[in-house]
Amino acid sequence: MSFYDRLSVRQKQTVWAWGFLAIPIVFYVVVRFYPTANAIVLSFQEWNLLGARTWAGIDNYVTLFHDPVFWKVFRNTFVYLLIGTPVSLILSFVIAYHLDKVRFLHGTIRALYFLPFMTSAVAMAWVWRWFYQPVPIGLFNNFLASFGIAQIEFLNSTTNALPAVLAPAIWAGLGFQIIIFMAGLRAIPKTYYEAAHIDGVSGWTIMSEITLPLLKPTIVFLVVFSSIGFLRIFDHVFNMTTNNPGGPLNSTKPLVLMIYDTAFNSFDMGYAAAQTVVLFVILLIVSLLQLRLLRDR
Amino acid sequence: MASLTLKSLVKRYGKTEVLHGIDLEVADGEFVVFVGPSGCGKSTTLRMIAGLEDISSGEISIADKVVNNLEPKQRNIAMVFQNYAIYPHMSVRKNIGFGLRTAKLSRTEKSERIVEVATLLGMEEYLDRKPSALSGGQRQRVAIGRALVRDPAVFLFDEPLSNLDAQLRTQMRLEIKKLHQRVGTTIVFVTHDQVEAMTMADRIVIMKDGYIQQVGTPAEAYHNPVNTFVAQFIGAPSMNMLPGVLDDQGLRLWNGSRVSWNLASSGQSHDVILGVRPEDLTPVPPGEAMLEGIISVVEPLGSETLLYVDIDGIEVIASGPGRQAPEPGSRISLGATSDTLHLFDKESGVALK
Repeated sequence: MSFYDRLSVRQKQTVWAWGFLAIPIVFYVVVRFYPTANAIVLSFQEWNLLGARTWAGIDNYVTLFHDPVFWKVFRNTFVYLLIGTPVSLILSFVIAYHLDKVRFLHGTIRALYFLPFMTSAVAMAWVWRWFYQPVPIGLFNNFLASFGIAQIEFLNSTTNALPAVLAPAIWAGLGFQIIIFMAGLRAIPKTYYEAAHIDGVSGWTIMSEITLPLLKPTIVFLVVFSSIGFLRIFDHVFNMTTNNPGGPLNSTKPLVLMIYDTAFNSFDMGYAAAQTVVLFVILLIVSLLQLRLLRDR
Repeated sequence: MASLTLKSLVKRYGKTEVLHGIDLEVADGEFVVFVGPSGCGKSTTLRMIAGLEDISSGEISIADKVVNNLEPKQRNIAMVFQNYAIYPHMSVRKNIGFGLRTAKLSRTEKSERIVEVATLLGMEEYLDRKPSALSGGQRQRVAIGRALVRDPAVFLFDEPLSNLDAQLRTQMRLEIKKLHQRVGTTIVFVTHDQVEAMTMADRIVIMKDGYIQQVGTPAEAYHNPVNTFVAQFIGAPSMNMLPGVLDDQGLRLWNGSRVSWNLASSGQSHDVILGVRPEDLTPVPPGEAMLEGIISVVEPLGSETLLYVDIDGIEVIASGPGRQAPEPGSRISLGATSDTLHLFDKESGVALK
């Protein structure tokens, strides 16, 4: 009798369970945990990608702390987060709430909203970039010009550039959020509304006391999910400001773009790793904070 | 408290007419139960009374006031739903109080009213619990409490007991009936369960395919069904339906046996159906038999025994004594007194008297 046959049923189940678990475990260790640990170690080192890695202590973090660009970028990242998340959630909720009531061409309209989510961010960024060009190329400025309104410098102004880059990023995520919100709305039993209708409470009470509380799990999920998305914003910014990534004057530069710059333009891997660790900590704190604040009491 | 009147009430969804002119008078304080198979229009009627569905034509009056164009809240009705519709994120207190949101009462009056209703339902200990910490019966009580707290003119119940298990259903049935006796509000109750209808109603409204079949007390519906549908729908097990012919000599059943009947067909013979309830069809000495057959299955219920008897190709349910049940396979003679027999026209199903 072989070794396997002598095992009890429970032991056999354990063997199989670990057999299957081994594949994702190996994958995660090699592809996720090892690079993560390596990045944390690297953040305390100097490395230019070719030479030897030398210890630098907390020098990278000190440099980062005194780097004015970092604080600018830090601020930008939070502007993306603090404008992007609420605006996208409110927009997608309003659209989902009304789309839920539309019968006419319901599927088509939903598909139209979902389309941007499936489209490549690079292609989208370039199309929006074209929208933003000055007369006679850009769509928006042409439209404004036809009403005799002065040109708006969308991407070349330090104040307008960040919202201009954020807009397509919000638009791109809407489809996904609408679908999730609609699923959440559909899950609320109709009789809850009918009962409220019979009790004669106002539409606002129904919204604030029934719809929103019952959507809470959906809202928590979307807040965390979209926050992580906006904290990691990169491709929209990179593609809409390719001539001068993160420009003008770093006014649109998010943390991920700074990391990319430091790593692959300056080849300062240790410094980039330190920035990555900071981003990781920010993501962790923001997510935990949101989960705690929005959790059921 | 108020009376309720439905006048040739019609409901159409597009071109499909689902209610074909319902007429009904419900007296003040009456407990009326709508019963019928699914799709008969009973829930639609109730939802129209509530104001949740538009009225295609006809008229609904509550307390002699036409309410066709009034919002649900203006109709002064309260409704209890099948799935209770109590809000999972609110405590029992808030759920019951939700019905008072728009009431012109002070805060203390409202909270006193909530406690009063909770006490009436035996729920005062659970006021601060969330619905998830309650049993099915308790949730149902919260739903009833929310309706009760508003002191409505008419109570509407939409299959409120369907989600409860059998034992709890019997218990809640009794509680709702007691509640009605105490508060005396007009109640319209919808169910597909004829036992619920029989046990609770002052009057039963039996519906089928958007038409009212019969309106009457439970006893009337049971003892004098107006047609074969009512006869078979009310009562469990269902009434036996035996085909026969009414000719100039009286009633002849499908197997040739004759049943004495005070009615005879003049001239042409007439196809009929003889209805007899299982409990009226009992074993008799062979000489007095109306029907004879072989027992196929015996179902002892304790107080009586149901006998499934094969009589010339038709299975008939009869009722035997609880203690000395006959054996399956044995031959049995069955009889019924003439006043327990029902005769229906075969084609239209209408009762013949």
